[in-house]
Amino acid sequence: MNNEKKSFGATLGRLWSQYSFIFVLVIIMIGYAFTIQANGNTFNFGHIAAILSSQNTVIVGTIALGMAFVIITGQIDLSVGSSLVLCTGATIVVFNVTNSIPLMILTALAVGALCGAVNGLLVGLGKMPPFVVTLGTMLIYRSLTLSVVRKVDPAISGSSSSQFAMLSSNSNYMALRKTFGAGKLSIGSFSLPYIFFVFLFMAILFIVISRNTKYGKSVYAVGSNEKSARLAGINVTWVKISVFILTGLCVGVASILQACKISNVTPASSGVSYEMYAIASVVLAGVNMAGGKGKLLGVIFGALSYTTINFIIVSIPGLSVDIQDTFQGLVLIIVILIQTVGPVIRENIQRARKRKQSSAA
Amino acid sequence: MTILEMKHVSKAFGGSQALSDIQFSVEEGEIHALLGENGAGKSTLMNILTGVIPADSGSIRFLGKDYPSPTIQQMEAAGIAFVHQELNVINDLTVADNIFLCRELKGPLGLLRQKEQIARARQLFEDLGVEMDPSTMVSELKTSEKQLLEICRALYVDAKLLILDEPTTALSNNEIEHLFGILRKLKTQGKSFIFISHKMPEIFAIADRYTVLRNGEYVASGNIKDTNAHAVTSLMVGSQYVNEDVYVPRELGDTILELRHYSGQGFHDIDLSVRRGEIVAFTGLAGCGASELMQTMFGALPSEGGHMLVHGKSLGGSIVQFMKRGVAMLPSNRKENSVVPDMTIMENFYLAEHELSKGKHPFIKVKEETGRYEAQKESLHIKAASSADSILALSGGNQQKVFLARWLNIGADVLLFDNPTQGVDVGAKEEIYKLILDFAQNGKTVIINTLEIPEIQKVADRCVVFYEGRIVKIFEHSEVNEHDVMLYSTNAIETTQEAAV
Repeated sequence: MNNEKKSFGATLGRLWSQYSFIFVLVIIMIGYAFTIQANGNTFNFGHIAAILSSQNTVIVGTIALGMAFVIITGQIDLSVGSSLVLCTGATIVVFNVTNSIPLMILTALAVGALCGAVNGLLVGLGKMPPFVVTLGTMLIYRSLTLSVVRKVDPAISGSSSSQFAMLSSNSNYMALRKTFGAGKLSIGSFSLPYIFFVFLFMAILFIVISRNTKYGKSVYAVGSNEKSARLAGINVTWVKISVFILTGLCVGVASILQACKISNVTPASSGVSYEMYAIASVVLAGVNMAGGKGKLLGVIFGALSYTTINFIIVSIPGLSVDIQDTFQGLVLIIVILIQTVGPVIRENIQRARKRKQSSAA
Repeated sequence: MTILEMKHVSKAFGGSQALSDIQFSVEEGEIHALLGENGAGKSTLMNILTGVIPADSGSIRFLGKDYPSPTIQQMEAAGIAFVHQELNVINDLTVADNIFLCRELKGPLGLLRQKEQIARARQLFEDLGVEMDPSTMVSELKTSEKQLLEICRALYVDAKLLILDEPTTALSNNEIEHLFGILRKLKTQGKSFIFISHKMPEIFAIADRYTVLRNGEYVASGNIKDTNAHAVTSLMVGSQYVNEDVYVPRELGDTILELRHYSGQGFHDIDLSVRRGEIVAFTGLAGCGASELMQTMFGALPSEGGHMLVHGKSLGGSIVQFMKRGVAMLPSNRKENSVVPDMTIMENFYLAEHELSKGKHPFIKVKEETGRYEAQKESLHIKAASSADSILALSGGNQQKVFLARWLNIGADVLLFDNPTQGVDVGAKEEIYKLILDFAQNGKTVIINTLEIPEIQKVADRCVVFYEGRIVKIFEHSEVNEHDVMLYSTNAIETTQEAAV
């Protein structure tokens, strides 16, 4: 009996240390269900669908996939929020001018990859710390977009109010905004937005890269022990550059989603703090900030957890939006506290138990 | 007089018994060698003695006082100092600052009395016969001086018993002699030492008594003068693997590797040719350039002149270029340069192969990889439960075999081994020697860089001695002996010749 209990505890402990992100999401979901019930509503699939289709999940989540790779190599990218603005701006301009969907997608991916490549080359070849480099490009990318938006003809920017907006007069506007951006795939009585499936596809792609490709293994190796990785033949500089380019491509995909779902981007305010939300999602996914460890699968859960926290806060009546970040910060700290302190506490308990046993003997 | 007595000490970690019923004692004014393979329990015993971890049972008596549950602070105050293998000095402070760290001499207002610290440090060095300037920065000291500094620091607080954990690993022979001179002097002043080392010649040069542990059990203790290295080694490893002569002369093939006027960081103008199936040993004092040469021959350091030819064709560029041509290097300092700690055994094993094959086959084929891993595991006798376990679950020797296998897996035929038996226990060392000879038998060319001369005698067809970045002598297998190799490595030969002229 005692033995069985112990092995169950051990299994649970192992599950927690490997898949903590699932537990985190479940606990937060339960919290959300309680607040919904407390408001006098019934928690149903509609609520979950709202979380899945939220821009926090799909846009931040997509960016977080690349961010996870950057963090696994032991680096950081603070420029993603600003790259998103720059990239979406370029994407919308190309759409407004050409009305071409392929060109628009190509622009998004190319500009995203370029933003990432600039970061990567400065870090990889310039041997500068990624924190400082991406802090610099974070300021540059946003301010460039800002300075352009005020000078561009409204016929091209699509708006006269300091933002880039998709021109509704373009013939492909409806296809992008209504059919794709707001469209849903119905399975029986459930329906989920197309854009969620884009995120899901990206997530699966990144999970496969991280688990099943030789490149993916080299990303982990660089983060775990750079010297050993180099002496095993891995081109460490290239791996470090490449994860920034991958993040840039994720930003490119996210900017297509931003354009199609929201139809505009405001350089002064859109995507602000997205780098922090993306990092938070990666942390909630159980990825080690020191590099070398973490599961890409977790990022799906991390992004959902983060969105759900937002939903909980919004659904509590009387809670001002101003206090929202305080709660988000608290939850983040608590989750990390459990992840780091949990194993220490477990060890102490085991030690105390052993001491008791040996003194009894 | 017995100053330390440990009795019936036992300790278990999880399910495994790390120590069972150990007895250990140290006399005043003796150097006591604590011997055993890696994993024999030496570190655990010392950690218990210094209060780092609690024992499950047993007693500790030091200077007539019992310590039922010692703490680090208690044992330090009692006069036991642990000089760790990895140096714990702070590079960015002066020598005197390091000695007075955490026990600074303070004046009113809490300001440091720097002059007095320096004066007292100078006095301490004088008493000990150490030549060191208390006001130099520690970063400017040689490794041996840092080691001495640590010992001095322990002696300043009047430690009675010093634990020296492999203190000579980073030292050259001259430096070791210097250290030993000071230890002998301190011994006459009544200090006692627990000396942990794997190097037999050192133990027989310095120690008075010894205690041998094996698999967490007490095996024997006695006076060093009543025994010999062969007997002690047998006690350490049990009955197996005692100093067999494993060397077999072999038929060598054509020249496969040539160095022509090869120069780089720390070595100059090296000319050498190596034949297929040959085992060549590089040796010399720390800093002689042999390790740097080896790293340059793998593309890990840039070459600065001359050529390296493999199969008659010049070779240079990045590490992958060398790998493609069948050159592989097992770097020194396994933990720092080989292990990828967050990865499994399998992932560590396959890292290099992936770099060569990912262009054509970007995806991992688990079945094929498992097959090749199992084959290598079998042929190298790697003791591992599951290939999905962390690399850290393996002992040092088995980890090293995984990294050997990493290079066999890409079919490398020029194998460069930089200090391959570092941190590997005696049994695994012998296995690695046998493997090296097997590789050569099967047509692989091996170059091994080592400071241990018995190792050279075991495997090498030729021994190349380096001094200050140049080759000073090449010995054939039969000519290799400790005395002559030392003579050339320290360049003593030139000084005697000059004197004769």
